[in-house]
Order: sequence, then C-alpha cells, then structure tokens
Amino acid sequence: MSWWSFERRWLAVIWQTLLPSGTPGGLALGARDVPLDRFLDELIAFAPRRVTLGARLCVWLLTFCPLFVIGRFALLSALDDDERLAVLQKLAASDVYLVRELPTLFKMLGALGFAGLPAVQAEVGIAVRDEAPPDWVGAEKP
Amino acid sequence: MSGAIVQLGDVRDQAQVEDAADVVIIGTGAAGATAARVLTEAGLDVVLVEEGAHVGPEQLRSDMWSSFKHVWRDLGFQVASGRAITPILQGRCVGGTTAINGAIIHRMPEKIWARWRDEFGLGAALPYAELERIWQILDRELFVGPAPESVLGKNNSLMRTATERLGIAGNLIQRNVKDCEGSAHCNQGCPTGRRQSMNVSYVPRAVAAGARVYATCLASSLVTRHGRSTGVVGRFRDPLTGVRGPKLVVHARRAVLLAASAIQTPLFLAKNRIGVGSGVLGKRLQAHPGTAVVGVFDAPVEMYRGATQGYESVHYWDERMKFETVAMPPELAMARLPGLGPELMRELASYAHLAVWGVQVRAEAQGSVRAGVFGGTQIEYDMTDADIRVLKLGVRRLSEMMFAAGARQVLPGVHGLPPAISSVDELAPMFDAPDDPRLFHTIAAHLFGTALMGGSAFNSVVKPSFETHDLPGLHVVDSSVFPTNMGVNPQHSICALAWLAAERLV
Ligand SMILES: Cc1cc2nc3c(=O)[nH]c(=O)nc-3n(C[C@H](O)[C@H](O)[C@H](O)COP(=O)(O)OP(=O)(O)OC[C@H]3O[C@@H](n4cnc5c(N)ncnc54)[C@H](O)[C@@H]3O)c2cc1C
Ligand code: SF4
Repeated sequence: MSWWSFERRWLAVIWQTLLPSGTPGGLALGARDVPLDRFLDELIAFAPRRVTLGARLCVWLLTFCPLFVIGRFALLSALDDDERLAVLQKLAASDVYLVRELPTLFKMLGALGFAGLPAVQAEVGIAVRDEAPPDWVGAEKP
Repeated sequence: MSGAIVQLGDVRDQAQVEDAADVVIIGTGAAGATAARVLTEAGLDVVLVEEGAHVGPEQLRSDMWSSFKHVWRDLGFQVASGRAITPILQGRCVGGTTAINGAIIHRMPEKIWARWRDEFGLGAALPYAELERIWQILDRELFVGPAPESVLGKNNSLMRTATERLGIAGNLIQRNVKDCEGSAHCNQGCPTGRRQSMNVSYVPRAVAAGARVYATCLASSLVTRHGRSTGVVGRFRDPLTGVRGPKLVVHARRAVLLAASAIQTPLFLAKNRIGVGSGVLGKRLQAHPGTAVVGVFDAPVEMYRGATQGYESVHYWDERMKFETVAMPPELAMARLPGLGPELMRELASYAHLAVWGVQVRAEAQGSVRAGVFGGTQIEYDMTDADIRVLKLGVRRLSEMMFAAGARQVLPGVHGLPPAISSVDELAPMFDAPDDPRLFHTIAAHLFGTALMGGSAFNSVVKPSFETHDLPGLHVVDSSVFPTNMGVNPQHSICALAWLAAERLV
C-alpha cells in the first residue's frame, strides 16, 4: 500500500529532525543526505503489514501532536527545527509508555536505514566490509 | 544417493513436488539439522522442509537491514505484547536461528536437569550421562572452544577486566566457531562461514549423506494414515514477497519430526488439532528476556573488532541473571542511544568508544503463542514483578562492571533515570520505581515450553519419547518440549535433546 506524498514528507521531516546533518562534534551526514525515502519503500514492500500500518498511524499522531504537546495549532512539519526537536524530546520523556515510544519507533526505523549505509559506517570508524551500499539505495520503487 | 537443497526458483514451473523418505523433518535450525545429522549417518533417508531461504555466506552483507530481510523472521519485527512490547528474535532461513546467533555454547546446568527430573519426571527419559555423551560429540564436530585471545577485541576484554577487578567469576565464552576472524558480525550472519551454525555444519553434512532440503517451503499440514503421521504437505513461497510456488507433498515411511521452534511448533500443532486437549499447547512460553547497558570509554573500544560475544559471567546464575558482551552494530546501537537530534548524532560519532554488555534473566514469567486473528502470530509475554527486580539488579551490576572497567559514563537505558550516569548511585531511583517492564527496552531470544513434554495427554503435548500423545509417528524435537528455561544459552541443549530423539528412531 503506497503512502501519500504528504505522509512521506511528514516522515522525512521527522527523520531529518531525529538525524540532522552536519552536527558539530557529531556526524557530518544526516537523514537529509541519504535516500531514506527509498528505505521507506523497502519497509512498505517487505515489512509486516502491522508494522507499516502502525508506522503510518504514528506519522499522523506525531504530525498533529504539537497542539497537545506545546499548545500550538500547527503541524509538526510546520514548526522550526528547534521547536520540532523540543516536541519530540518532550514526547520521549513522557511517563506514558506508548507516547515515549513514538519518537523511539522512528529513531529505530531511521537508524536501520541510515546507520547501515557504508558511508555512515565509515564515518563512525568502521572498516567497512561491503563497498556497495545495500540494494535499496539504488532500487527503483519495489 | 546425493542430496540437494531445492528452493522456489528450482521448482517454480512444476505443478507439484513429491518426495518420500524414512523421516521428514520440519525446520533446519538447531533441532532439525541435528536430528538430520544423526538420522542420515545412521543410514536413514531424510527430507527437511524449511520455510526460509538458503543464504550462503557470500550472499550476506554487513548491514543489519539486509540480514533482517533475508535471514531473520518478520525482518526482526516479531514482537510479544504485554505491558511492554518485547521483540521476539528468531532466524528464518536454512540453519534457523543458529544462522544469526552469537555462537555461545553452554551445557544445560545440572540444577536445571535435576528440576526436570524431580518436578517433571523426565530424569529417566533424558539421562544426564547421555546428554553429556552427546555434548562431547557436538563439541568435537562443531569446533567448540573458548573465544581466542587473538580475536577477543576490547568489548570482550573490558568485561574480563571488570570481573577481575570486582572479584566475580567470568570466562571466555565457549563458541562453536572454527578460526574466527573477529568480524563482530554474528547477528548479521557470519560472512566467512566460520561460525559452525547449522547452515554450514549439519545441514551440508546431512545433504552430503543424501538428505533433500526443500527451502522456501512452508510446511502447513500433515498426511495421516490409519491414525498415524505419514507425511507433510507444504507450499513453496518466497519468504520475502510471499509469492507462491508449487505444493510439496513428502511421504514419511517412519516418522515426521517437528523442529520449527518454540514459536512455530505450537502454531503448527494447533493448526493440525494436535495437543489441543492438553490445555498447555502454546502456553507456558518461557524465555530469557534481557537488556543492554552501554558504557562510554575515553579510549577506543571498537566493538566492531573482535568476537561478537566473547566474554561472560555466570557468577549470579543462582540469582537468575547472566551477563555477556554483545557487539552491537551501529544501526542497533543508534536505536539504543538515549539522544535525539544533534545529541544523538554526537553519541553516534562516539560509537568507537562504546562498549555494550547485556543481562539476560532466567525469567519466571510464562507467556503464550497462538495464531493471530488476522493471520500472523499472537505472542503474549509479560515479565513478572520479581523478574523486573532481577533485571534492575542486573542493570546495576552491569553498570558497576562498566565503571570498574574504566567507563567514563554509563547509559543505563532506563526510563526515569538520567540518560548518562557517572556513578551507580544515580541508579537509586530505579529501585524506587514500580517493577514495570516499561522502564526498560528488553528483547527475548531464547524460547521454550510451548509443547510441554510429560507423561499424560491431559497436561502435556509430547511423551517422554518425544512422540506426540495425540498422533503416533509425529515427534516434537525442539525447545517447545522443554519444561523450563535454563538461565544459559540453549542451542547446545536443544541440539542434544534432538540428537537423543533422533537416536531413538534409528
Ligand atoms: C539474536 C540471537 C542470538 C542468539 N545467540 C545464541 C547463542 O549465542 N547461543 C545459544 O545457545 N543460543 C542463542 N540463541 C538462541 C538459539 O539460536 C535458538 O534457541 C535455537 O536456534 C533454537 O533452535 P530451534 O531448532 O528450536 O529453532 P530455530 O533454530 O529457530 O529453527 C527453526 C526453523 O524452523 C523453520 N520453520 C518454522 N516453521 C516452519 C514451517 N511451518 N515450515 C517449514 N519451516 C519452518 C524456521 O524458519 C527455522 O529456520 C540466539 C537467538 C537469537 C535470536
Ligand atoms: S565474529 Fe565474525 S568471523 Fe567470528 S563467528 Fe562471528 S561473524 Fe564469524
């Protein structure tokens, strides 16, 4: 089941907030520099349906959460970077288990795609075994 | 006769595949492959049916996602529900979970065996001396030995330093690896075929002795004749896309062995209405849930160099906890690191300075497994409050060990605590918090008990002879039959029981 392009944009913004590029003292690479959109295609094509449906629902929950978290009537993607990060941090610190798992879910999914890339692994110091990136990087939509 | 591994691509054009053998085995993991090794070398003709694909070392990549896709069940997304969501990790490929495991070898502790004898009456059926005889053969054939110093790596040697400084027992892990090169890739699948998982040891050995392996083929039902199990019906199916191929029918002249793991075995039995009247089928699911503690060191640790799991401590086994090192690839480490945004990227940049060690709990919790209403698998599992107290103590002890080894900071990964601590005193609030699994991120990888072995069809599924009470000719030989968990890594015990079961068929 394909995602709407606005849902993809919302997720891209969440990933870019969680995994920003060019962090001083951190990695130069971030979600913006790698084709995580294609990784989403992989997830949609191959992950169990409950996972992708759950992720899709969670994208909506995160996108509409600023009203409930910071009292701002705005989409998460419409906030500036710092505000967006603050919202996600607040959720991650929640005492409600399912609420704090929301950002964790996207951190986990993003990490699976992002940190598996040879360029990222090389940046963290690993002598990378595979020169070519995983299939999904160059794949057409499955 | 020479054997073969046959997959969907080889039979796509056929309407149906038929075969016959003395024994048909469902599953090629620790249990199924070991049984095949024994039966083929005793001269029996064997067929194995395996849901997953045959993935050779040369096809493996070092990133976790590629491995999830090709050799893990549900791409690593299988979970149990309870108060917390617990990933239930399994392999799905030729070799089963042994193809992604840490190669840690342990024999069943005698105290556990004594409990099986005294509480479950299994002493005569599973004599410890027999198990020891088999472990000796397994040790030899699977190249079991301590993790070599040459590939220990710092993640492992730091735990040794910690145990020495704290005066607790620790040891190099006994592993089933031949000439390990210390690539820390065991959970992605050993890229050099050095770990003696079943896909590189007993499956090829059985094939060389004539066994046929039908991989990418899901066994779904049994053929029965005169009230006896006489074969297996399955269907070829691409494990990734679900694209279906021909039907498989294999006739069994002597027996069918079910070795599909403690999750899939009860599902198969329930679907075929076997053991349902026992009241215990799919119940009593036991595990060793665990969590990881991360240490941050000033000097590089480089856990990507060395044996994935090379050092352990069973010092506190009587208190239901075991500690082991585990080299986490960056994908999994990143998900475990506490930060978000720039903080996360800084934490990831220090990946080379991180050590990761885990605590696994011999949990008293019992869960269940059944077919989900909309397909799939419904697993329920909830650690008890007492289990959580063990886990809390385990996290505290691991943190003490990290500091004893020289960690600058520890990232305990416990909700409500600071993300990074500089002293174990900062863990105090954890002990005041409710005993709730939602404080932690736990996983469970060792699974037992869902088709209990016992003397009566009213409270067990499988006889002490491994044959099901309900259907003669059908034997269950995996860890579903274990009455309890063990507090140590189970592969060697699973292999030994399957070996014993197979010998009794010869
Ligand atoms: C990440 C991880 C690390 C581990 N590390 C260790 C370790 O270091 N040491 C240790 O002792 N243990 C370890 N374990 C556990 C150990 O590997 C397992 O307990 C053991 O492999 C289980 O053996 P099994 O034969 O019961 O099941 P499996 O090895 O899981 O094999 C079952 C096979 O049956 C197949 N199957 C299932 N249903 C069907 C069907 N209907 N039709 C056809 N085929 C089917 C599956 O695809 C699978 O290949 C680890 C587990 C995990 C997940
Ligand atoms: S550490 Fe590397 S070489 Fe050694 S067994 Fe594991 S994957 Fe194979």
